[in-house]
Amino acid sequence: MKWVLGAVAAAVLSLSGGMASAAEVFKVGLIADFTGAFATWGTQFQQAIDAYQAVHGKTVKGPDGKEIEIQFVYRDVTSAGPDKAKQLAEELILREKVKMLAGFDLSPHAMSVADISQQAKIPVVIMNAATASITRGSPYYVRVSMTIPQQVVPLAQWAIKNNIKKVYMLTSDYAPGHDAENYFKKEFTKLGGEIVGNARSPITETNFAVYMEKVLQAKPDALYMFQPAGSPSIALVKAYSERGLKAAGIKLLGTGETQQIMMGGYSDDVIGTVTAFHYTENNKNPANIQLIAQLKKMFGEKAGTDIASVAAWDGTDLIHRAVAKLGPNAEGLKYVDFMKNEKLDNSPRGPMAIDPVERDVIQNMYIRRVEKQDGKYVNVDIDTVPMVKDPWKIDNPPKSN
Amino acid sequence: MLSFGLTILLDGVSYGMVLFIISVGLTITMGLMRLVNLSHGSFAMIGGYVAGYITQAGGNFYLALLIAMIIPAILGGLAEVTVFRPLYRKGELAQVLLTIGIVFVATASITEIFGAFPYPVVFPDYLTKPIDIGFRTYPAYRLFLIGVGGVVAIALWYLIENSLYGAKLRAAVDNPRMARTVGMNVNVLFTGTFMVGSALAGLGGAMGAGILSLEPSYALKYVVLFLVVVIVGGEGSFKGSFVAAMALGIIDTIGKYFFSQAAPYLLYVTVFVLLLWRPQGLMPAKSVA
Repeated sequence: MKWVLGAVAAAVLSLSGGMASAAEVFKVGLIADFTGAFATWGTQFQQAIDAYQAVHGKTVKGPDGKEIEIQFVYRDVTSAGPDKAKQLAEELILREKVKMLAGFDLSPHAMSVADISQQAKIPVVIMNAATASITRGSPYYVRVSMTIPQQVVPLAQWAIKNNIKKVYMLTSDYAPGHDAENYFKKEFTKLGGEIVGNARSPITETNFAVYMEKVLQAKPDALYMFQPAGSPSIALVKAYSERGLKAAGIKLLGTGETQQIMMGGYSDDVIGTVTAFHYTENNKNPANIQLIAQLKKMFGEKAGTDIASVAAWDGTDLIHRAVAKLGPNAEGLKYVDFMKNEKLDNSPRGPMAIDPVERDVIQNMYIRRVEKQDGKYVNVDIDTVPMVKDPWKIDNPPKSN
Repeated sequence: MLSFGLTILLDGVSYGMVLFIISVGLTITMGLMRLVNLSHGSFAMIGGYVAGYITQAGGNFYLALLIAMIIPAILGGLAEVTVFRPLYRKGELAQVLLTIGIVFVATASITEIFGAFPYPVVFPDYLTKPIDIGFRTYPAYRLFLIGVGGVVAIALWYLIENSLYGAKLRAAVDNPRMARTVGMNVNVLFTGTFMVGSALAGLGGAMGAGILSLEPSYALKYVVLFLVVVIVGGEGSFKGSFVAAMALGIIDTIGKYFFSQAAPYLLYVTVFVLLLWRPQGLMPAKSVA
C-alpha cells in the first residue's frame, strides 16, 4: 500500500514540476456596472479589453523572457453603490489574488477603494470615474479616462472666442455636474462672459419642458448643458428644439452628450451642437481604426466605441506594458511609477500621457460640431486644444509635506 | 403672466395624462384584487419598447400604439392567470417580493433583447413640431397627450359608470365577498380587468416615451410615481387616480419652474401632507368608482 502511495506521490511531484514552467497568470480585477442603469459601462469595458487582447495577444514577455498571461477577472457592481464596489475589491484581492484593480465607471466606486489600494499595495487603473480629486486619494491611483474640468475649460474658451457672451447653464445634480457648473462658470466669467442663469436638474430627469421655458426667458446666446449621456441628454436636446430655443438662435454647448454611440436616439435637432471632448469617434488614428474594426468583428456591426472602450483599451495597454517591463511580481508602487511616466503614443483618441506627479491623464481636447453625413449624425472636429492638464489640479496644487 | 401660467398648466396636465393612463390600470387592480403590484411599470415599458421597435422599423405610428396595447394585454392576462392568481390570498409581503422580482426579470429581458442604451419611439413629423395656439407656439406632442388622455378618461368613465362590466367592477371593488356570493364570475372579471389595465399601461408607456424615456430600468425608476398616483388618489378609484395624476403633474411642473433643485422635495412633501390629511386617498373607492 505504502508502495502505491509513494509511486503516486512521485508521479504528482514530477507533474507539478512540469506545470511550473507554464505561463504565469497576472490577474487584474475589473469592477464596473454590468447590469442596471449603468450597464453599458461594464459591457463597453469588457468588449474593448477583449478587442485589445485579440489584437495584441493575452500574454506579454516579462523581463526574464517568460510568458505572462494578463487575465481580467470581472465583477459586477449591479448599480449597488460604493459599498458593494469596496466589497468586490476585497474579494478580488483576497480570494482571486488580483495584482491590480481596474474599471470603475462611477466616481464613488473608485473612491471607495482608496484605503484598500494602500493597505494591499494594489495599483488601481481608473477607466472612467471623472471627479477631479480622485487621484489624490491614494498614491496607487492611475487614471486613463478624463476629468470634467479638463473638458469644460476649453469649451468655455471656445465660446468666448466665438462671440458667445451670455450663457445659461443647465447641469445635472450630481458631483460631475457640479464640477462642470463650477468650472464653466469660473472660466467663462474670467474671460469676460456672463452667466445669465443656471439650474440643476435631477440626475435622471427626462422632462425638460419647464427648464427650457426658464432658459427662453433669460435670453442667452447659448445654453450649456451637462447631462449624463443617454436618455437625459436626448430628452434635453428634444426639449431644446421643441420649445423653440433652437429657432430663437440659442446655441447648444456640451461635452459628453453627443457621443457617437448615443446618436441613434437623436433627431435633426442635434445638428449644430458644439461639444468639447477628449475622443472624436471617427478620427483616423490607426489604433482607433483597429479598435473599431475588431469590435465589429467580434461583437457585430452595431458595436461601437465610446470613451469607455477607449479608456479600457488604453488602460489595458498600460497594464500590458507595465507587466512586460517589470514582470508579474513587482511591488505595487513600482508599477504605478512605470505607468505614470508612460507616453501613450498609440491611443485611439490621439496623443495622451500620464502626469508623473498627479498620475492623471493629459490629453488633447477636441472641439466638435454635430453634422449629418450619409444620413447619420457625426461629430466633426472644428478645433483642437493640445495636451490639456486637469485644471482642478492646477488650481489645487498638492500640499507639500 | 397669463401665457406663462397657461404654459405651466399645459405642461403639468400633459405630464399628468401620461401618469394617469399608465396608473389607472394599477389603481383598479389594486382596488379590485387587493394586489400590491409593483411590476405594473413593466407593462408600460413593454408597450413602449414594442411601439419603439415598430416605429423604428418604419411602421405606422397608430398601428404601433395599437400593438403596444395588445401585447402587454396578452402578457398581462397570462401573468394574471399563472403568476398573480395564487398570490391574492398570500398577503402583501409575498406580493411585493414577487412583483419586484418580475420587475428585475423584465429589466434583464429588455436589456438582453434591446440593449442597455435608451430606446426611442419615432413619433410622426407633425407631432414633433410646435404649433401656434394663439398666445405662443407649443409642442404638438403635448397637446396630443392631453387629447388622447382626455379621450381615454372619458371612455373609461363611461365604461365604468354606464356599462354592465363597469357595474360588476365597482361592485367587486366595493365588496368582493358579496360580489362572489351574488354569482359574478370573479376570475374572468379579474383577468379581464388586469388585461385592460396592462393594455392602458402599454399605451401610456408608448405615448409617453417623449416624457418618460424608455430604457431597461424604466419599470424600477418610475414605480414610485405610479404608486404615488394610486395611493394619493385612493386605491380602486378611477376618478381619484385622474385627480392625483393631474395634481402630481402640475405640482411637479410648478416645483421645477420655481425651485428647480428642490422640485422633488415639493412633490413628496405635498404627497406626505395629502396622505396625513386623507390616508385613504383623495377620492377613495367607497364613494364612487
